[in-house]
Amino acid sequence: IQAAWNLKTRALTEMVYVDEIDMDQEGIAEMILDENAIAQVARPGTSLKLPGTSQGGGPSPAVRPVTQSGRPITGFVRPSTQGGRPSTMEQAIRTPRTALTARPITSASGGYVRPGTASMLTNPDGPFINLSRLNLTKYAQKPKLAKALFEYIFHHENDIKNALDLAALATEYAQFKDWWWKVQIGKCYYRLGLYREAEKQFKSALKQQDMVDTILYLAKVYVRLDQPVTALNLFKQGLERFPGEVTLLCGIARIYEEMNNISSAAEYYKEVLKQDNTHVEAIACIGSNHFYSDQPEIALRFYRRLLQMGVYNCQLFNNLGLCCFYAQQYDMTLSSFERALFLAENEEETADVWYNLGHVAVGIGDLNLAYQCFKLTLVNNNNYAEAYNNLAVLEMRKGHTEQARALLQTASSLAPHMYEPHFNVAILSEKVGDLQRSYTAAQKSEEAFPGHVDTQQLIKQLKEHFAML
Amino acid sequence: MPEGTGALREVLPKQGTGGDPRPALPARPAPRSRPFSPFAGQLSVEDTAAMVLCKPKILPLKSVSLEKLEKLQRAALDAAQPPEAAPPPSAGPAPPRQ
Repeated sequence: IQAAWNLKTRALTEMVYVDEIDMDQEGIAEMILDENAIAQVARPGTSLKLPGTSQGGGPSPAVRPVTQSGRPITGFVRPSTQGGRPSTMEQAIRTPRTALTARPITSASGGYVRPGTASMLTNPDGPFINLSRLNLTKYAQKPKLAKALFEYIFHHENDIKNALDLAALATEYAQFKDWWWKVQIGKCYYRLGLYREAEKQFKSALKQQDMVDTILYLAKVYVRLDQPVTALNLFKQGLERFPGEVTLLCGIARIYEEMNNISSAAEYYKEVLKQDNTHVEAIACIGSNHFYSDQPEIALRFYRRLLQMGVYNCQLFNNLGLCCFYAQQYDMTLSSFERALFLAENEEETADVWYNLGHVAVGIGDLNLAYQCFKLTLVNNNNYAEAYNNLAVLEMRKGHTEQARALLQTASSLAPHMYEPHFNVAILSEKVGDLQRSYTAAQKSEEAFPGHVDTQQLIKQLKEHFAML
Repeated sequence: MPEGTGALREVLPKQGTGGDPRPALPARPAPRSRPFSPFAGQLSVEDTAAMVLCKPKILPLKSVSLEKLEKLQRAALDAAQPPEAAPPPSAGPAPPRQ
């Protein structure tokens, strides 16, 4: 009977198991009310909250699209890919947090939609294990059952408190000699937001038994505490003990990417590929770096490799289409995009593909097609700021100034972090003679992208003009 | 092509012999020959800033964990919504099966 129970518990857990190493959805409450920050203002290059202050070494926003936090778009997205720390509450609410819906999650519990509902899914007439009636002490003393039960409670029921109780009892029973329970306690503390305690547990587990997983969990804690340099050091020490370990190398690369240090990230992703040349994340990231560094043919090679490995989804075909077009392999372009459209699972993906098709149309000079593509983008996703901006540019070409202005207004309010709509408003206003508006817009553009030469020239021109008055 | 050269002859200044088959240089090099410069004759350069397009978007690939999460979330949402006719799943005490 016990064996069957054990098996069923583990099967149920496996259904909803998502590796905790990856799982990391941060709620708004935690972002805004973060008490774990050590320094009020971090030195440049030591904080994940201030992107762009460390040496970039990558393509500028003039070439590479930028997300809400000011970081360039990465080639790979995981549950823990940060959207960045928003500076205001309003921005926080606007930032899409969940993978599926665009609505933000308010706190840690909100993100875990699978709890409880998971057990509802598997067992419509009630939970398999009724936690309130469980005698945890009894189970804590049977290590094998306890471990299966713990995983069940943690992943399937998502009841962290009970899981923590069980883990604490079990650790005591094992006289604090079992590293596995220490790691589990650490995980519970992490979920509950008690990061320093989690750190202690993981460190103690590491001392007892050196495991790559524990290193990864500990690094996660440091990342959450906004200590990327500590995490990096930890990884590098780990590499000394586990040379060539792909997960550690990947972890280092991810942190560098979060700190906006694209060149180091690329270096480490290459190391990953040397060890494991089927690593999807590394291939995708290097591919996108090459694309935005004006080397679409090389990017194409990387994405083709992914195709070889059997990755078959909308995003890959979209990227293939883009690379083919910019690498001048026009035969493959449209069929790739067709496939991408066919594989799109929701409207947002469809919108992305139409947006890129619009770019292709602009490239071949068919502005009517481009217009239609951007309109289709908006049909699928009404909040697509880039499409509004590009439509505005097209309208200006046709001479419809007022429409262009309205579209740019929408674009800039939807995406204040992008410099293009602001810059375009500045140009437009200057053309019609509205210099005040042009100046304010140019200021905003400079804020978003200080390195843009055209913006600086425009501001200089306007300043000279104002000085003359 | 006779028409071609005829049209050219109209545009270009007269060269001398009318039967010149190939289009000659529009201006004889002057006695003091100047090196040809593409900017010669240009009076002013105006660099008007043009509007910028937003860049093409490389879509990030999703990790396995992320896809699984999305699937779970979707399943959870579906489970929560359709059973409006059926009684909502009760989490009442059920006999723990051993």
